[in-house]
Formats: sequence, structure tokens, C-alpha cells
Amino acid sequence: MRPTRYRIRVAAVAASLTLLSALAGSVAARVYHGPTLTALVAGAALAAFGIGFALRNRPTWLAGTASTWGLAAYLVGAFVLTADGTRPLPQMVVDSVVNAVPRTLTALIPVEPAPDTVGVPIFLTWIAAGLACEFAIRYGRTLLGCLPPTLLYAAGLYLVGPNAGPVIAVAVAYCLLAGAALAVTSAPPSKRPDRDAEVDGGPAKPKATVLGSIVGAAVLLVAVAALAPLALGLVESSPDDPRELVEPPQLTDIDINPLSRIAEWAKRPDQELFRARLDGDAWMRLAVLTEYDGVTWQAGGDFRTAGSVLPASGDGDFTAEVEIIELGGKLVPAVADPATVSDLPVAINLHTRCLLTPDGLATGDRYSVGSDPLTVDTEAAAGARPDLSEPVSVAIPPNTPEIMTMIAEYITATYDTPHERAEGLAAFLSEHYAFDPEAGAGHDYPTLEYFLEAPLEAGGQRGTSEHFAAAYAMIGRLVGLPTRVVIGFEVPGGESTVTAGQGLAWPEVSFDGVGWVRFDPMPVDGATPVPPQETLEQLEESEEPTDDGGGDDGAEDYNDPALEDDDGDFDGESDLEDGRIPWWAWWALAASVLASVPLVSKARRRLRRRRRLRRGTPAQRVAGAWAEVLDAAARAGVKVGACANAEEAADRVAALEADIAGLPALVNRAAFAPGSVGEDDAEAAAGIALSFERRVRARVRRWKRVLT
Amino acid sequence: MQDTEQTHPLQAPRQAQQQVTLNAGQAEAFAATFERLAAAVDTVVLGKPEVVRLALTAMFAEGHILLEDVPGTGKTTLARAMASAVSGQWRRIQFTPDLLPSDVSGVTIFNQSSGGFEFHPGPVFANIVIADEINRASPKTQSALLEVMEEGRVTVDGQPHQVPSPFVVVATQNPVEMDGTYRLPEAQLDRFLVKLSVGYPVEAAEIEVLRGTHQRSADAVPAVVDTDTVAQMAEIAKYVYIAEPLYAYLVQLAQATRQHPQVAVGVSPRGLIALTRAASVYALSQGRTYIIPEDVKALAEPVFGHRIQLAPDAAMRGASGPAVVADVFDQVPVPLPASAA
Repeated sequence: MRPTRYRIRVAAVAASLTLLSALAGSVAARVYHGPTLTALVAGAALAAFGIGFALRNRPTWLAGTASTWGLAAYLVGAFVLTADGTRPLPQMVVDSVVNAVPRTLTALIPVEPAPDTVGVPIFLTWIAAGLACEFAIRYGRTLLGCLPPTLLYAAGLYLVGPNAGPVIAVAVAYCLLAGAALAVTSAPPSKRPDRDAEVDGGPAKPKATVLGSIVGAAVLLVAVAALAPLALGLVESSPDDPRELVEPPQLTDIDINPLSRIAEWAKRPDQELFRARLDGDAWMRLAVLTEYDGVTWQAGGDFRTAGSVLPASGDGDFTAEVEIIELGGKLVPAVADPATVSDLPVAINLHTRCLLTPDGLATGDRYSVGSDPLTVDTEAAAGARPDLSEPVSVAIPPNTPEIMTMIAEYITATYDTPHERAEGLAAFLSEHYAFDPEAGAGHDYPTLEYFLEAPLEAGGQRGTSEHFAAAYAMIGRLVGLPTRVVIGFEVPGGESTVTAGQGLAWPEVSFDGVGWVRFDPMPVDGATPVPPQETLEQLEESEEPTDDGGGDDGAEDYNDPALEDDDGDFDGESDLEDGRIPWWAWWALAASVLASVPLVSKARRRLRRRRRLRRGTPAQRVAGAWAEVLDAAARAGVKVGACANAEEAADRVAALEADIAGLPALVNRAAFAPGSVGEDDAEAAAGIALSFERRVRARVRRWKRVLT
Repeated sequence: MQDTEQTHPLQAPRQAQQQVTLNAGQAEAFAATFERLAAAVDTVVLGKPEVVRLALTAMFAEGHILLEDVPGTGKTTLARAMASAVSGQWRRIQFTPDLLPSDVSGVTIFNQSSGGFEFHPGPVFANIVIADEINRASPKTQSALLEVMEEGRVTVDGQPHQVPSPFVVVATQNPVEMDGTYRLPEAQLDRFLVKLSVGYPVEAAEIEVLRGTHQRSADAVPAVVDTDTVAQMAEIAKYVYIAEPLYAYLVQLAQATRQHPQVAVGVSPRGLIALTRAASVYALSQGRTYIIPEDVKALAEPVFGHRIQLAPDAAMRGASGPAVVADVFDQVPVPLPASAA
């Protein structure tokens, strides 16, 4: 191989594999905060590959030693760059190295680039790039060289888990880079013109055989057939999160069932819980409860330790500074949706985005929360369908009290749209029930049944926000609305002291495309509640069919299951909208990859033909023309063995009825009579080869012509 | 490949062998003479142009020819036609069981008039010696040819006597009739450059043979070249170019015969040299100044075939030297060049 061509080819392979390593290393950076890790792994890939490339003609042990020292220096540099400067360098380095793996796997997303969280990605990227260089550049095995970056890519995907959406562009870019490296290929040691290389043997080149190719293809097909269904099943599934292997922070009783704190707060409304300074009026959430078992409302999902920047968050422009006074427990009040938390170690429930501090709140604790306040598009909510994507928010425990069912039927019959029913239910509760701070705690079925059904004189029809919110949420689910209960505080803007009297539970309903919408079922102060039975009896009397039924006035029946199925707009499961990759995209990607195989093959063959026929000495070009003829014949099904001389090969090729007269003699002259072929001979040979290829190609079946 | 020095077409270059290559004019002159000679022989050996070409190739390669075939296929005719076409001295020895070595090589007789011993050369002292039915002679007599075939001289009573140059032994033998015959020893076989089988002519050629039986005689073949020309052509053939890969190819072929499972003794280095010499002449006869693998393959069977000693079990199973040679050519890759890719 000529030095210039070798240099171009090896440079192309080196560039491709360096980018490949950097790309694979940056996969994990998607769960890191900021671009720091991306820059660090890219630098690691470049440095590791550069060292290996520079020492490709030196012994392996020398390259390995230099790469090891380079890695150590690079890691120390990365540690210094990402450290906060509070610890001495030796202590920081030792701590980072020792704790790198567990802290990388347990850090909450987005991971803060710190010495103990950047070490593992940098180390793996460096190793992958170094091995890729050794395999592809030193030993000329490009395919083997792609393996370490690919494994790194897989490790990065595992580390990311479900915490970041798929990025098709990165995967496509990775495939293209790998394809480019394989298309160019490197050069085995025996063909490298740039040395005097000491490669210490290297992996033995396997001898390609037809049997080996058949066996390999068969194994590949079996593997694809066996793994394809599994892979297809994984397309729609969410990847495992390695962080789930870490035990989450434990909750206390009052944190597990925080709704019971409402009654306590109602009895002592003046208790100062915390001091807050907000940028504006806001509702600060303490807990969000989605699961009800007929006895208690509980929050679903686990809390995960987070850094100062919370996962999947925005800028956090709305600031709330809080100083704890008497608020206990571990749950941390914050304005939804929290994005950053400073001065307090927190964990976050990724499902409800509520906060928790593992050590519990203590008097004097100060922290600051940056939030992105949720805004509700009321107009969109008025015409929206309920968001039924989360089964837990519509789950109804058995033995539902009859009064709940009756109220639900009343609401369903009275109101048409989901939003009207949600508002109607809030209005029904506020109209028929009264607030009583002295009401007993509890929100199990019997308590709620008593609250809803018992007469005012017997202590019924009265309750705290606990009862109102819990009853609303359950009746709402009976109506068909996805509901949950939120506990929090209504806090005015500016600096204020939040007391227990501001503690409140309220229901929320989820609408498709809108999100969770807060409703207020609490009665107006001083209003006298109307016995619900009177209203419900009116419904029974009016159950006779009338012309003013909801179905005849042109209003859409939002409870019609058929309509739910037919109306794609309200189905709302658009793959693109919810961030998932549609199935056809995967098929399109697979088809593109498959289609690119023959294209790459054709392009590579075209480049090879040009190289064979147009470059080199006349003798080399004649030999190239001969090789082109034999390759074309092989593609047409006529294979010439290595033991055939030129005349015998020509006899065999003659079966294709394409003339190559003169070429065997030219080949023999080029091979065995040096200096006897000139430019004209080379041109003639090229002409014969091209003519032969055209005629042979015309004989090949059309489908085979497309594929080969 | 161009030699700038002007030389007679059939005059060998004067420079050292390893530094000299032939020019196209020399090759064309060689080919023309070769063709004239072959055409002359073809007038009496009908329908066997390739056999004639191989026999002449052996002659210009300064090798000896063993013609083996059933009686009546033209072995002796070919030998006599070759002898006639070369205007040199030729002798024919009819080998019989009672033929003595001295009948072949000559004897030393006391001359009373001169009072000394005089050497009377035998029939082996000729440019072309036709040894008809060589396998009918006793081994002792067959051995009388060993020295002269290899070294070109005869030693009688301790005195060496040089035979004329060129010197070619064209022997014939009948492979079918084995009674009263003595199989040629391996050492003797190895001294024949080629072993050829004339074979039956094709139908058209056989009809032509019948049609001109009385008009056609081997002795009537006109002399086309003289012995000096033959010697010059043989000398020229030594300067044919052989590419380095072909040397390796030839050695690999020989090694393959030695390692072949059906072979007890493979091709010797002398056999390899013989093939190289023969291929050189074969290339020149086609107007080429260089050898190509096709030359090697064309000559491999006649040169290698009789030099391969089969293993006993293989011989019993019907294996043959030519079959082994064909098998070997299917195992050794031809050194065609790698392209620039």
C-alpha cells in the first residue's frame, strides 16, 4: 500500500473512531448537568486515541504505559476542574477514586459534574478510545476497533436508563461514523508502509472461508430471529433504571399519611410552621397523594436523592426562600414545579415532583427553591378530555359508599363535559357541606360516608379540607375524572409567616393536554349547607326521559366509550407529543440501515475500482483491471480459484459470454515481464475490464444487481 | 526487456547470464525457426502438433526424450523425423536383450599397424541417437547410457570421449508388451527431460495417414536447421527471463509433489531444473522472452509425470504421475499479481 493512501485511510479511521468514542462517552452526559462532562469525555477520547496513534509503531507495552499515565493525569485534571475547592487535592482525589462507582450510580439526575461523578465516564471513555486505537490502527481491525466504543455506548444507555428521552440523531450519527470507519478500513500490519512497526504479533488474521462465512451468516440470522422479538418488545418499554437498585430514603408516619395533619393544623390554626419569602402569591405543595386504598391517601413512587438541580426541570425563575419554624416531618414545602434547591439536601419524587429532605426538617433550617410556576390554560381545560393515561389516578377501591355513587350519578347526569363535571362536583360539595375545624381526622370510607350522608345535626355534612378533598377525589373518580389530593399552603407573595391555618388539602383533576388543574370544593365562610338528599331526590324525580337531555342538545357525550375510541384528537396518545419514538420510526431506521448496506458496498466498490484502474504503475493498473474482471465474474456466479492461471481464468470467465480477449496476455506481461506494459496497455486493460463489468452486470438478475 | 546491443537473432548474448535479457527480435527469430522445424516434422507425424512441439522443446532444452506408447503410433517416425529435420549426424540403436554396453558406447581395439589401442566410437556418438525399444536391453546396457545422457561423454577403459553437441537421445518404449523387457530404473528415467505419449491420431489425421502412406517417409523430411543453429538456439533459451514469483511457484509445485499423499518420491531438483529449461524454450517458441505460468503448466505433465514415484498403495489403486501433477496444480496458487487495491 502506498504511504499517501495509507495515511489518508488511517487518518479517516482514526477520526471516525475518535468521534465514535467521544459520542459513546457523551451518551451518559445526557443525565449530567451542563456541558462539562461532554467536554471532558470528548477530551478523554481525543487524548487516549492520540496517544495510541502516536505510539502505533512502538511496542504495545510502551503505548499502554503512556496511556495509563495520560489517563491518570487527565483524571486529576478533571477532578481539579470540577472540584469546589473545599478539600485538599490528595484527599479529594482519593475520595473521588474510591467512591466514584457508587456515587455515579446513586447520584440523582441531573447529576452534578463533580470529581466523584465524572471519574467513571472519563475512565471508560479513555479505555474505549485506547482499545479502539489499538485494534483499528495498530492491528488494522476496524470492526474490532468499533467494539469498545459500542460497549461504552451501551453502558452509557444503561446509566441513563429512563431518565432521558431517546436521541435518534445521536444513534444515527454513531452508526454513520462506524459505517464510515468500516468503509474506509485501516491496514493490517503486513500492509503498513510507515514502518518498521513493532506490533508484538497481534491477533491472528482468521482465514476467510466459504464455510466460515455461511456459519457466520447462519449464526447472525439465528441471533436476529431470536432477539428481534425481544428487541421489538423493548422498543415500547421503558429501560431499567440502575438507580432503582438503591434503597430510597425512608418516610416517617406523618410523611406517609400527611393528610391526617390537616385536622391537626385545623385545630391549631395559629401555629407558625415556617417563614417564607416568595416572588408572588403561590400555592406551596407539601405532598401529592395519588393512591387511595379505602383507608388512607398515599403518595405513589419513590423519592430519589437529588442535587441542587432537579431532574427534568426548567430555569426555576420563581424563588421561594423558606425558614422552618415548627413544621416537622421530612416533606419539604415548595412551589410547583421545583427546579433548583439550595442549602438543603433533598430527594425528589419523580412522579409527583414533591421534595423530601432525608434528615427531616428542623427549626432554623433555611433553604431556597427555584420553581417554574404551573399555569393552567382554563380555556383548553374547559374543552379537554380527562387524561386517563395513569390508571392509579382513576383507581377506585371496592365497597364504595352508596352516597358517593349517588352524588357521582347526579354530577354525571347534570353536567356534560369533564371540566363542567369537575366544577359541578366542587360546587356541589361547597354548597351542601360546611367547614368545621373541629371535625375529626380521617378519610377512610366510613368517615367520608358519614361526612357525606349524615345529617348536619348528627355531625355530618361538616369537615375539614381533608374530608372535602378526599371526598371530591373519590367521587371524581366515580364520575370518570382522574384525581389526586394535594396538601399544601396558600402563601402570599413577599415575606410572611405561614401558619397551620393556611394548611390545606385540595383536589386536582388531570386533563389531557392541560395537566393537573386545582379545584376548590371548600364552602364559603358562613354559608348554610343544603342537605344533599334534597338535591339528589330531585334527580330521581327528573329521571323520566325528557327532550332536554344532554344527548339531544348537540353537546358531545364525553363518557361515550365509542367516542373515546374513535376520536383521535381526544385520545391524546400521540407518540410524538408524549416524547416516545413512534414504532414506524424504528422500522424506518432499520430499513435505512439495511438499505445503506448495498449502497455502502457499491460506493466502496466504486472507489476500489477507481483505485485499481486509475492509480499506480501501468502494471498495477493492468493487475487492477484483472482483479476487477475476476470480482465482476464472481458477482455473476463464476468464481475463479487462486490456482488458475490467466488463460484458465479467461476460459472460465468466457462462460459469461463477455469478451476479455487480450487481457490475460496483458496480465501475464504485467506480472512476469516487468516494464513491458505501458500507459496504453493500462488504458486498454481498464477498457476491457469496464466493458466486461457492464456486460456481466447486464446478465445479473435485477434484484441481485440492486443488492450487490 | 529491451537489449540495446545489436546481435544476430540466434546469437546468444555475451554478457553474464544474470544481467542479460533477450530482445524481441531474438525471440521472434527463435520462434520462426522453431515453427519451421515443427512444420517439417508435422509433415510425417500427422495430427500431433503438440507432441511435436514438446519433443522439439526438449531438444532445444538440451534434454532427452522418452517416447512411450503402444506399437505403431509413430514413436520411431517422430524420432527419425526430428533427426532428419536437423542436418546433423544421427544414429539408431535397436535395443535387444543381447545388446552389450560396448555395442552402444564403443570399444577399444589393439591396432597392430600402429601398435596401440584405438577407440572405435559406438552409435551413441551422434547428435541425435534414436534408442528404439530401450526397455528391451538389459539393465547393464541401459546403464551404458547414464553417463552420456547426463554428462555428454563416454568413458571407455578409463578414457573419456566427448559426444558431439548437440546431443539428444530419443528413446522409445512399449508400455504394454512387458515380456522380455527391463523396466527403466528411476535414475535412468530422471535423465529424460520429457516423457511423451504420441497416442492414436484423430480420425481425420488417421485418414490422411492412410492416404499418403507411400509418399510420406521420415527419412524424406528435409533438413531445416543444422546442429550449430540448434546449439545456438539452446544457448539463447538460457537467457529467458523468469520473474521472482515464478521461482517460488516452481518450488512450491515441486514441494507439493513431495508432500502429496499418493507419492513416495516427488520431483527432484533436477526435475525442477528440467522444467525451468523446458519452459524457457516453450516461451521462446511462442515469441516470448519471459516465462508465464501457462508455460509451466503445459510442460509439467511431460516433465514431472515420469519423475514421480507413487506410493505402493496409490499405484495399486490406479493413481498415476500425471494425475498427481494435475492435482498439484489445483493446490498451488498461481502468482498473479495483487492489484493496487
